Amino acid sequence: MISLIRRSLPSVALAAIGVGAAGVLALWWRDTPAIRGAAGWLTGAGQITGLLAGYAAPVLLLLMARIPLLERELGADRLARWHARGGRWMVGLVLAHLLTITWGYALTDGRGLLAEGVRLVFDYPEMLKATLGTLLLLGVGAVSAAAARRRLSYELWYYLHLATYLAVALAFGHQLANGAQLGDGPGRALWYLLYLGTAALLGWYRLLVPFRHDRRHRLRVAEIRPEGPGVVSVFLTGRRLDELHAEAGQFFRLQFQTPGLRWAANPYSLSAPPHPDFLRFTVKSLGSHSAALARLPLGTRVLAEGPYGAFTARRLTTDRTTPGLPARTAAAPARVPAMAGAGLPGSGPYAPLPVRGRRRGGPPVLLLGAGVGITPLRALFETLPGEVTLVQRARRPEDVLFRAELAAVATARGARVHELLGSRAEVGDLGRALARLVPGLARHEVFLCGPDALTAEAVRSLRAAGVRRIHHESFSF
Amino acid sequence: MRRAVVTGTATVAGIVLLLSLKPHDGPGNSTVAKVISSGTSPSAAASAPSSPSTATGSGSSPAAAPSPSASAASRVVTGNAIDTRYGPVQVRVTLDSGKITKVDVLQYPAESHRDREINTYALPELNQEALAAQNARIDAVSGATYTSDGYTRSLQSALDQAGLT
Repeated sequence: MISLIRRSLPSVALAAIGVGAAGVLALWWRDTPAIRGAAGWLTGAGQITGLLAGYAAPVLLLLMARIPLLERELGADRLARWHARGGRWMVGLVLAHLLTITWGYALTDGRGLLAEGVRLVFDYPEMLKATLGTLLLLGVGAVSAAAARRRLSYELWYYLHLATYLAVALAFGHQLANGAQLGDGPGRALWYLLYLGTAALLGWYRLLVPFRHDRRHRLRVAEIRPEGPGVVSVFLTGRRLDELHAEAGQFFRLQFQTPGLRWAANPYSLSAPPHPDFLRFTVKSLGSHSAALARLPLGTRVLAEGPYGAFTARRLTTDRTTPGLPARTAAAPARVPAMAGAGLPGSGPYAPLPVRGRRRGGPPVLLLGAGVGITPLRALFETLPGEVTLVQRARRPEDVLFRAELAAVATARGARVHELLGSRAEVGDLGRALARLVPGLARHEVFLCGPDALTAEAVRSLRAAGVRRIHHESFSF
Repeated sequence: MRRAVVTGTATVAGIVLLLSLKPHDGPGNSTVAKVISSGTSPSAAASAPSSPSTATGSGSSPAAAPSPSASAASRVVTGNAIDTRYGPVQVRVTLDSGKITKVDVLQYPAESHRDREINTYALPELNQEALAAQNARIDAVSGATYTSDGYTRSLQSALDQAGLT
């Protein structure tokens, strides 16, 4: 029952957003008695698109406000996907709004489009600010459009996105000053509630909570350890780490407090189950940011937002699970024996812990990962209850991450680990290759993490192979 | 890409549907039913209120052909239609030897109940102010800021056309 509610939550969230949009349209409907001529059509379209864009802006920001409930139940990757799609839609609405409004007003006034545009910008209240905000928004939209996006580093893309906060703030005034539906009454109240509420949530969860978090946990870089070609593990130590209540499979957004890295909060998965004395993240150098990590001075202060992510043991089909398991994380103190004396494990793979609790009759679990997508699976491999198999997909043997560690975990808990090596052509159909490695593939519940291309291919071939439960987390941003 | 096309098409279709469900008035009777006037109208200017589409444009002096003996050189000048958030406002001024003798409000927002309520007191007051001030530098009527703004701007454009400032 609970898992049913969980699964329908995304639809519930989408429905709530849709109801809000319908409410906004109702505002327009209520205040618009009649449409007059071509000018009326255009102005009406301008009002509708403007209202929807004005509604979309705070909703899109709310999706990114790191609200724990949304992060946990919907997952950061889904929120990011919605945000990206909604963002493109909103940019379209803004463009349509400024074209139709200008055109509609021009027809009413009997002026040219250009003259009307100039008049709108310079004569109407709050319009200079709104124009600035729109240019900012369209600029960000243009550079983060799919084509340009690939040539952009995560860092630059991230900074550009910060400019959209300014754009939304700049455009707020003109909505209240010129929007016929927002001049007074419920429209105005709703708008204030929406914008101020969003600002409050953003301030709380993106500024205040990380700040308090930092004061409480004081995370520092304790060690940087190379794991493979271009891959390093970053160990963080700090205080009261058990109070973070992190779970295997989750990620944090980390801001390393050194010049150049300070402002970008990149998402990094825990690559080992959380430990009371340290957190381990494993990073592949994709952008300049991750490359700079390998050279981080020890003791660097780290601001961490999180833990985030729903890619955890709680995703397991719970209705066939031993009651109470696998609720939250297996209590961290039980892991203490695994520590090699000091805060950090020795140079080798650190000793895995016996798995606590067994799922009775739950379906076997397959963890399928590729590239740096193996990191959350590495943590889950150690902690997921029940029968677990891990398959790591890599092009070359030297690309395989955590080989020794995974073997140690497998031995300790009696799980199986496989490597699926070779180019795509060599491996052939992924579903068939997996079926050869994993007996009874169709019965498995699959956790999938890797680059988008692999994820898409894997979901297709696993479905074709009869797998019904697939959980995946996308690492793209 | 396909998703973008589908979403875009659905949005456009939704907006067109919404707009088409509203009642439509032809552009011909797009003015309000009644012209609100203040001031004395010299007979020369008392032509029937024309629709704004024809009235818009430069001022003309249709009836009072300037005759040297005429004591009153009456002119009727129509101001620009000014769009406000609640709809367009447009005035027509009657000038007598450079003096504003009458202001007609040809277009004003009258769509909602609240608009009509505002206009019943705001527009006559604005007309009074304009006649008293003899220019467009008049105070806004409280509670009708947008209409007042549209009114003064339309009035100013009419006075500009007439060569008065």
